[in-house]
Amino acid sequence: MNVTIYNEGRQTKVVLDGRLDTTNADQFQKDIAPLMEGADPDIEIDCEKMEYTSSQGLRIFLMLQKSVTGRGGKMVMKRMSPQVKEVFDITGFSHIITIV
Amino acid sequence: MEKKFNPIEGKSGAIIESVMNSNDIPSDESLQFKLRLSVEEVVENIVRYAYESGNGFIEVSTSVDGDTLSIRIKDGGKPFNPLAKKDPDVNASLEERQIGGLGIFLCKQMMDSVEYEYTEGCNVLTMKKIIK
Repeated sequence: MNVTIYNEGRQTKVVLDGRLDTTNADQFQKDIAPLMEGADPDIEIDCEKMEYTSSQGLRIFLMLQKSVTGRGGKMVMKRMSPQVKEVFDITGFSHIITIV
Repeated sequence: MEKKFNPIEGKSGAIIESVMNSNDIPSDESLQFKLRLSVEEVVENIVRYAYESGNGFIEVSTSVDGDTLSIRIKDGGKPFNPLAKKDPDVNASLEERQIGGLGIFLCKQMMDSVEYEYTEGCNVLTMKKIIK
């Protein structure tokens, strides 16, 4: 799983590439640690190349969403594959995370 | 296919791949996604929680009978029926939503059937999926 983080104006963009699973979830959590701080965050996560996520990934996306909401910011996940979207739908994560 | 791993600490990835590389696994990508997810969630639970010492064995096996694929995952850890756990509230708000507890729920949703038994000192979880 490759994680690219960059800023565009006020917005933080995150590009995910690969499989997010039990073998790399801890590393992913470390990679996105900078997104867990700062006021009024505005984060867009591009999931086009995220091939897979298990509950290990969901756990981290939920932590991030809670953190962002708690700091008065907004987070959007975009271009999810139908299979990954299904995981978000089944678990009800589609109701609590904005997916476009 | 049948394969036994011991020790299992840090071996989740290898155990999952051994199942996914079995000739019994269909080539359809959408099915593979669901199977991989189900296997990962079960294996991860065992590696993390089954053995007090953190180590023991996992035995995985796959078989196909007609149009049904079976994946069996066995461990010798403390007796634990993952299916007895209450499903998470998928309608909970962001504030109420608990972090964790989704793995076995996902497995149950992705497979056509999941059965648990405790036999001869082992936890045995058998998952089935219609693949044709």
